[in-house]
Amino acid sequence: MSIEQTQITQESCNDTESVIEAPRYSCSLGGAYACVLETTGAIPVFHSGGGCGFAQWWALSLGAGEIGSGRTGGANALCSSLLEEHVVFGGEKKLRSLIKSGIELMNGDLFVVIPGCIPAIVGDDVASVVSEFKEQVPIIHTNTSGFVGNSYDGYEAYLIAVIEQLLPKIAPEKQNDLVNIFGIAPRQHVFWGGDLQEIKRTFEKVGIKANILFGELEGLENLKKIPYATHNIVLSPWLGIKAAEKLKELYGTEYTVFPFVPVGPKETTRFLYQVGEKIGISKETLKSVTETEEKKAYRLFEFLGDILILGMPSAYYAVVADSNAAIGITRYLTNEVGYLPELVIITDTPPDESRKTIIKELTENIESDIKPEVIFEVDSHKIRNLLKNRKFMFLLASSMERFLAAEEFHAIHLSVSYPTWDRLLLARSYMGYRGGTALIEDMVSKYAGPM
Amino acid sequence: MHDTINHSLDIDQSINLEEKTCPNREQRAGFAIKAYYGNASQLVKDAKEGHLEHKDRAFEQSGGCILNFFTTVRISTIQDGVMIVHAPVGCSALATGYRETFRAVPVELGRPQNVDFHWLTTNLSQKDVIFGGKDKLRKAILEAEKRHSPKSIFILTSCVSGIIGDDIEGVVSSVQPEVKAKIVPIHCEGHRSRVIQTAYDAMWHGILRYLVKKPEKKQEDLVNLPSMLSYTWADRNYMIKLLGKMGLRANFIPEFSTTEQLETMSEAAVTAPLCPTFSDYLARGLEQDYGVPYFTYPSPMGFAHTDEWLRKIAGYTGKEEIVEKVISEERKLWEPEINILKEKFIKLKPDGSKPTVLGAIGQGRLLTQNPFFHEMGLALPATFCLDFDGLAIKDFEKMIEEVGDFKVLVNTFQGAEQAHIGRNVNPDFYLTCPMKGGSYKRNKSITRIHALRGDPTQWSAQIGYAGSVAFANFMLQSINNKAFPKTLHDKTADIYKDWWYKQPNPLHYLEEAQ
Repeated sequence: MSIEQTQITQESCNDTESVIEAPRYSCSLGGAYACVLETTGAIPVFHSGGGCGFAQWWALSLGAGEIGSGRTGGANALCSSLLEEHVVFGGEKKLRSLIKSGIELMNGDLFVVIPGCIPAIVGDDVASVVSEFKEQVPIIHTNTSGFVGNSYDGYEAYLIAVIEQLLPKIAPEKQNDLVNIFGIAPRQHVFWGGDLQEIKRTFEKVGIKANILFGELEGLENLKKIPYATHNIVLSPWLGIKAAEKLKELYGTEYTVFPFVPVGPKETTRFLYQVGEKIGISKETLKSVTETEEKKAYRLFEFLGDILILGMPSAYYAVVADSNAAIGITRYLTNEVGYLPELVIITDTPPDESRKTIIKELTENIESDIKPEVIFEVDSHKIRNLLKNRKFMFLLASSMERFLAAEEFHAIHLSVSYPTWDRLLLARSYMGYRGGTALIEDMVSKYAGPM
Repeated sequence: MHDTINHSLDIDQSINLEEKTCPNREQRAGFAIKAYYGNASQLVKDAKEGHLEHKDRAFEQSGGCILNFFTTVRISTIQDGVMIVHAPVGCSALATGYRETFRAVPVELGRPQNVDFHWLTTNLSQKDVIFGGKDKLRKAILEAEKRHSPKSIFILTSCVSGIIGDDIEGVVSSVQPEVKAKIVPIHCEGHRSRVIQTAYDAMWHGILRYLVKKPEKKQEDLVNLPSMLSYTWADRNYMIKLLGKMGLRANFIPEFSTTEQLETMSEAAVTAPLCPTFSDYLARGLEQDYGVPYFTYPSPMGFAHTDEWLRKIAGYTGKEEIVEKVISEERKLWEPEINILKEKFIKLKPDGSKPTVLGAIGQGRLLTQNPFFHEMGLALPATFCLDFDGLAIKDFEKMIEEVGDFKVLVNTFQGAEQAHIGRNVNPDFYLTCPMKGGSYKRNKSITRIHALRGDPTQWSAQIGYAGSVAFANFMLQSINNKAFPKTLHDKTADIYKDWWYKQPNPLHYLEEAQ
């Protein structure tokens, strides 16, 4: 089948216009909260109704790979718990006393006020209340009412708040080997933690220092390092570009978009070359490192041969995931494992202009004669219908598809996208040289047995 | 303020289904507070004398709202219903586990093969905030009907739908003729009440007003059991078995019920409590409009209370004779085991003192669980209670008479206060949950307060004779290895500053009454 014959459905998915069954993301408040939780030392301060933290803890901790509330999540998140009286008289006073007492009581390096729907509707001047405390502690606020966007928007809102309120206006002297990583939203991209660590380890091998903003011991410190980066890397076809643009405008930092999280040796090598060449890593270093890493990776790869060929060779598969995860997984399974991509459903909300890139990455330069149908859909009922009457034997999706996979689609299922209620994901990753075989380990573990 | 409170002791208990929703718990119960620290006896005395006033906290943590104290994950399990959350996208984000809930229960343990839950969000946007969300709600109702042909459609409201003033009842009455499903609006706007128990009343109000039918016949063997997500599948099956031995049938609502089970609650012989504060509004409503009697105390945890609970049910169903047979059979089966376990509790402390326990959570669970601890010979230095209202006074008095006095910390999932009391009371048994902040970090044991609804293992059960044995075993198991809380304590930092634990008052940030 040639590309021309490929069925590509590009539904107009204007998600704010629709009613949706079980969308695979939360609101912008939730997305920002997830970022705060993973900035070590940062304290989330909800300026919202009392249930926002409760709901987002459940949604973006347990629902994102059964992650616990940790030090600042769950019942530890501050909240102004707004009521009817605040709708009438405003909630600024409540917010002020909350921040004041929070600073007194909490061991925090950075306070992040996350406003929800109520203050946005009633018009609280959150910026002004927050500014009263700027002398005392590092404190910022996000532009995140629940009705202005989803968790991806919340991720971007957090980055923008950091850039605008925490970082200097003038570019400092750049550090030659330092790059910032964007495009991987904590919790929402369920392998965020492991992926970011793996990117850091992989870069270290060629002498690049990755400034990781989430999941590191250095929370505030790494945020403050953002301006020193010589280059910004965006690992998504769309997410994080706003922040990269903003930094370009502010500090003149160039950025590279590598539109997915590379899984397995082939794409990881391509990724390293693309980034390495941009920031002046020598060809020799790139060649020697990638060759060594590939040799190690393919040594392992060789040993998965028997179970793959005896158990599930040339399998049709479908992917339901956010764009940067979906592309990485699909390219690996198709280009290295020899699987047949039947269908890819993209469940984040890429803007129209990035959809061509997504389709291109999923359907061009792939080894398989079968090109996947690419569909953009956020409604879980529609996704279920789209998965019916297909050939796929593997379904790499969210845990919402776990039981449907066996009963309706007769396929083997593995959770690789949000929500993931059926796996504990703390540092698991399919990124990098080792990531491909890690993915196969998890897939094979779903069906292997004595033959 | 005093007028209201004195009035509370003789609350107007009528349920007005002409209204679109219930009064808030603060009004209905005369008072409802979510901050108190003191002896339970004093709490009751203060309540009766009208001294309980709401006080705000300067420092507050996210403790849930009317919508997001699990209303979504509760309503979304009604088997032939569809839930519509009329809210921005984040308000229902905790409900994405809907296709997996209960799936750990094997079909042979009573889970229907083809359970298929559905819910939609109206996904309110900025545009809807400006122009109103009625059209989207209408669209969602029609979409729910078209997609799933449900028996019922539940509409859950939110802060945003409330503040922008969407006329929910207007939409319902205009769309109802176009759909076969019965539409049930539930007014759970997050900001409407400071007490999360209003969520229960709001849910039952919607169900009573729109769904419950006039009884066609009386089902003399039917027992309504309003059940929370904190009771497990094993608890459920055990109650079915116990009541079955008496020739009775359990009607578990609303968790995992059918629309018909909700419609026919009016035909039941009695409404019995598992969590009295959860079922209060429903029980009163069913009695008032359909003559279904109810009781609120005791709930069936521990042997003595299970006896009493079964006898009360028997009294309403004419099973006075057989209940004695069932009780004696069950006791014969389980008493030897519970006696061994009681012995283990008694011998636990080298100095022969009673081991201490810090547990409970809602006022309903407090009333259920503390008598069990007492029966096991444990001391109760303090207990958590999410909130406290005028409806619980009489049952609290009965319980205090049984178990003696203890300190109550009334707070709704306030992590700092719970960490404080945990550290300072330092009980032998600490029953906790993920909503309790830093309380995992200690040098003694921790374990969970309860398991959740989809757990089919007997190991996790708590209800009745069998559940009491399981729970006692479970607690004892927790003190055999303290490595997890100890490792956390030793190796991870605390989020609260040291001074917090050194000053004596967990309610340090309580502001004076307004």
